[in-house]
Amino acid sequence: MSTFGHLTKERDTPRTLVVIFLRGAADGLTLVAPIVDDDYHRLRPRLAVKAADAVPLDGTFGLHPKLAALEAAWKDGDLAIAHGAGGESDTRSHFEAQDLMEHGGPVAGGWLARFLRARGPVQSPLAAVALAPTLPASLSGAPSAAAFSSLDEFSLMEGAEKLPSFPQQLRRLYEAESPTMKTAAANTFEALRRIEGIDRKASPEHGAEYEANDSFARGLRQIALLIKADVGLDAASIDLGGWDSHFTQQTLLAPLMSRLANGLAAFRQDLRPRMATTTVVVMTEFGRRVGENTAFGTDHGRGSAMFVLGGDIRGGQIIGGWPGLQPDTLEGPGDLPVWNNYRNILSPILARHGTPDSLPDIFPDYELSPANLYR
Amino acid sequence: MSTINRREFVVTGVGAVALSAAIFKSVQGWLGEAGQYLGTNLARPLHAPLTPPSATDLDPVAHLLNRFTFGPGPGDHARVSAMGTEDFFNEQLEPDNIDDAVCDRAIARFSEAWWEPLGEAYEEDDEALTPLLRRVTLLRAIYSKRQLLEVMCEFWSDHFNVDPGKGDCRFAKIDDDRNVIRALALGNFRNMLRASALSPAMLWYLDGRANTRLTPEEKPNENYARELMELHTLGVHGGYTQIDVMEVARCLTGWTVLAKKDDGFSGNLLSPTKDRAKVVFRQEAHDDGPKRVLGQDIPAGLGEEDLDRVIDIVATHPSTARFLAGKLCARFIADEPPAVAVAAVEQGFTKSRGDLKTTLRALIATPEFQQSAGAKFKRPIHFIVSALRATNAQTDAGRGILSYLERMGQVPFGYPTPDGYPVAAEAWHTTLLWRWKFALALSNNKIAGTSIQRDKLTNALGGDDALMASVLNRQGSETESDAALQSGDRLALLLASPAFQHC
Repeated sequence: MSTFGHLTKERDTPRTLVVIFLRGAADGLTLVAPIVDDDYHRLRPRLAVKAADAVPLDGTFGLHPKLAALEAAWKDGDLAIAHGAGGESDTRSHFEAQDLMEHGGPVAGGWLARFLRARGPVQSPLAAVALAPTLPASLSGAPSAAAFSSLDEFSLMEGAEKLPSFPQQLRRLYEAESPTMKTAAANTFEALRRIEGIDRKASPEHGAEYEANDSFARGLRQIALLIKADVGLDAASIDLGGWDSHFTQQTLLAPLMSRLANGLAAFRQDLRPRMATTTVVVMTEFGRRVGENTAFGTDHGRGSAMFVLGGDIRGGQIIGGWPGLQPDTLEGPGDLPVWNNYRNILSPILARHGTPDSLPDIFPDYELSPANLYR
Repeated sequence: MSTINRREFVVTGVGAVALSAAIFKSVQGWLGEAGQYLGTNLARPLHAPLTPPSATDLDPVAHLLNRFTFGPGPGDHARVSAMGTEDFFNEQLEPDNIDDAVCDRAIARFSEAWWEPLGEAYEEDDEALTPLLRRVTLLRAIYSKRQLLEVMCEFWSDHFNVDPGKGDCRFAKIDDDRNVIRALALGNFRNMLRASALSPAMLWYLDGRANTRLTPEEKPNENYARELMELHTLGVHGGYTQIDVMEVARCLTGWTVLAKKDDGFSGNLLSPTKDRAKVVFRQEAHDDGPKRVLGQDIPAGLGEEDLDRVIDIVATHPSTARFLAGKLCARFIADEPPAVAVAAVEQGFTKSRGDLKTTLRALIATPEFQQSAGAKFKRPIHFIVSALRATNAQTDAGRGILSYLERMGQVPFGYPTPDGYPVAAEAWHTTLLWRWKFALALSNNKIAGTSIQRDKLTNALGGDDALMASVLNRQGSETESDAALQSGDRLALLLASPAFQHC
C-alpha cells in the first residue's frame, strides 16, 4: 500500500534534514584552520593546527587531522564549509546564544518547528525526531516531534505488553470509520509496519562502520535507519556536546572531532544513494577567541565554522571567504567576527527542502541573503 | 486562591513578634496539611452514583459533557442526568460558586503561578516558570470541577495566543493567563480584548512595547495592530485595510511595558516589585494627531484614550461578532459549522454586546449543536485529559504526560505563532500513533508520575460493560464489545478506539 502518498507539489521529493548541534561553542579555528595565515600561528603559538598536519582543503584552509574522515566528502563535492558562522548574540553566553540560534532570533518557537509548520499538515507520525531526553528549542512548537533514545519507542507496544491481537482489533474498529479517519489509521499502521520492519541488528550498508561504543554514532545510525525505512522523516536533531575548551583544548577536542567526523563519514556511507535527498547541517552557538589563553585553551568568541553535508549541494567550497586576522578585522576582545549568519546558510537548505516561499516566516525580522549552496 | 506577595509578607509585617507568630502559625498549618502540598490523593472517591450512560448513541448529557468539559469522569453522566443539562450548564457558567478543593490541592505547590504582582515572577528561574504554568493548566483541566471555565480558558488561550518563548513573555505569560484569560474567559469580550491589549505578555509578544513615535519620521510598529484585527477581532476578510492597520498602530503608540531594571527610556532605576513589568503610557512616544479607523474619526489630542476608542471600534464591529461566532462554532459544533448556527451565535454576541455567557447559551441552543454529537476530533490535550479523567487517574501532569503532548504537537502554551493551535481535525490526524501508545501505557500504568487503578474502577462501575459505557460516554456497540474482549487489553482498546478520539 502506498502511504504518505498525498504529497503536495512543494514536497514532491521526500527529503530529510539532519541538524547536529555542537553544544559548548566549538572552536572553528581548530576544526577548519586557516593554515596559511601567519596571524593564526602567531596568535595560537601552542594550539594552532600545523600546516603539515592538516588535511588541505583549498589554498587557505585545512581540516584538523582528527577530521580526516571528512576528506572524501570534501573531494566528492558533498561537503561545504562556512567559516565565521554564527548569530548576532554578542553576550558570549552559551545559554543565550544557543537559545537565540535555536529559535532563529528573538522569536517564539524554534526555526526547525516553523520550517515543519510551513510545509503544511505533517504526513507522518515521525515527521521530526530528536535523539535527546527532551526536545531541543529548535523544535519547540513543531507540529509533531518525538524525543527518543531507541527506535523501540516508536513501536506500538514496548517490552512486556505484547498483545498479538490488539493491532488487529484496533484496525477493525477504524475500518468502519469515515474515509479520512480510515486513511489516517491506515497511514499510521503503515508507518508502524515500516518501523517494526526495521532490522536493528542489520549491518550498515555499503560497508559503513559506526563506532559501536559511541552514543553519537549510534544516534546517527538510528536516524539512517529511519530514513531508509521511509517513515516520512522530515527532520532529525542530534547533539554532540562538550566543546567548551577553556583548558587543555587539544586533549578535549581531539576525541570529539574524531566522533564527529567518523560518525558523519559512516552516516554518509550508510545512506549513499539517499544522500542526494538528505542534508546534514553541523552548527554551534559561537566560536572561540582567536588568541589562546594560558591554560592551553580558548575563551568564548563569536564566529565559528558550520558544515553542510549533502549529495546535491555545491560542495568543496568555503562559503564567504576569509577576512584574515588583522586587529581591525577582529571583534571585541579579539574574536573572529561573524560574516556568515547561520540563517543565510540554513535558508537555501530549507528552500530546497520544500519551503522556498516561507523563508521570511521561518526567520522573521531578518533580511536574508541566502548562501549560494546549490548549483 | 488568595494572592501571595512574598515581599510584602516579609517586609510590611507589623513587627517582629507578630511576624514570628504569623510564620509559626503558617508552618503549623503547612505541617498539619502536608498532603495538601504534595498533590496526592487526587482521584475521586468512587461512591457517588456511578451509573454510566444507557443510550447506544451519545445522549444530550453525554454530548454536553464531551464538548464543554475535558471529558466525563466516572459518575459525571449520572450527576448531570440527575440535575439536567440546563442546570448543569448554568452551574458551570458561574465557576466562582463551585467548590474546587481537589483542584486547589492539586496545584497548591505551584504557587508561583499566582504570585502578584508580576514583578515577583522575575525573581524566579525563568526556565522553570513555563513548565510550571503548563502543569498547573493541565492539572486544572484534569481535576477542576469548573470544567466549562477550563475549556473556555483553552479556547481563549488559542485566540489570544502568546508563546512564552519570546522575550519577557516567559515571565509575563503567567500574568496574562491569570489576569486576561482566566479572569475574563466568561466575561465580556470587550473587557478581555482591552485587558489583552494592555497585557505585558501581549505587549512583548506582538511588539506593542516597541510601538513608538518619538520623531515625525518614526514609523509605528504594526505587528499588534494587524493581529488585533486579523486574529483577535474582525478576521482576515473582515473588511479592514492596510491603512486601518497603520492607523490603529498610530493610536496605540506610546503604550509600553517597563523593563527589568530601568524603565528603558529615562534611565531611572525601578522598584523591582512595584514597577517591574508595569504597563505605562508614554505621552511623548504617542502620535497624537487625528486618525481614522474603520471609517470612524478619532480626533487629535486624545492621548491614551485612543486605546479605548480603538477597542470600542473593533470590539463592536459586525465582522468581529461574525468572526468570533465562526470560531466558537468551529470549536464547539463542527470544523466547518453550518452558517445558520454561526448566525445564531453572532446574534447572541451582538445583542448581548459581547457577553460571553449569553453567546455560549446561544450556541448550545442551536439545533446544529444538538445534532453534532461525536462529530469533532479531540485535539491532543483534550484526548489526554479526557483519558485521565475517564480512568480516574492520579497524575502529577509532569514530564510523563508532557512527552506525549510534545509528540502530538500540542504542548500547552507551546504554539509559536499568534494564530493559536489549529482546531480542525486534519491538523491532528497523524497523532493516532501516540494516542494508541498513550492508551496502552496508561492502561498498564507505564507513564511516569501517573497511575490508575483499573480493577478498582471496573468493579466500582459494575463490570466491563459499565466501564466501556463510562469511557465511551455511551453503550458500546457489539463490534466494540467484541474487539475490546479480543484485544487482550479492554481499557487500552477503548481509549485507542475511534469513538474515544471524537467528542
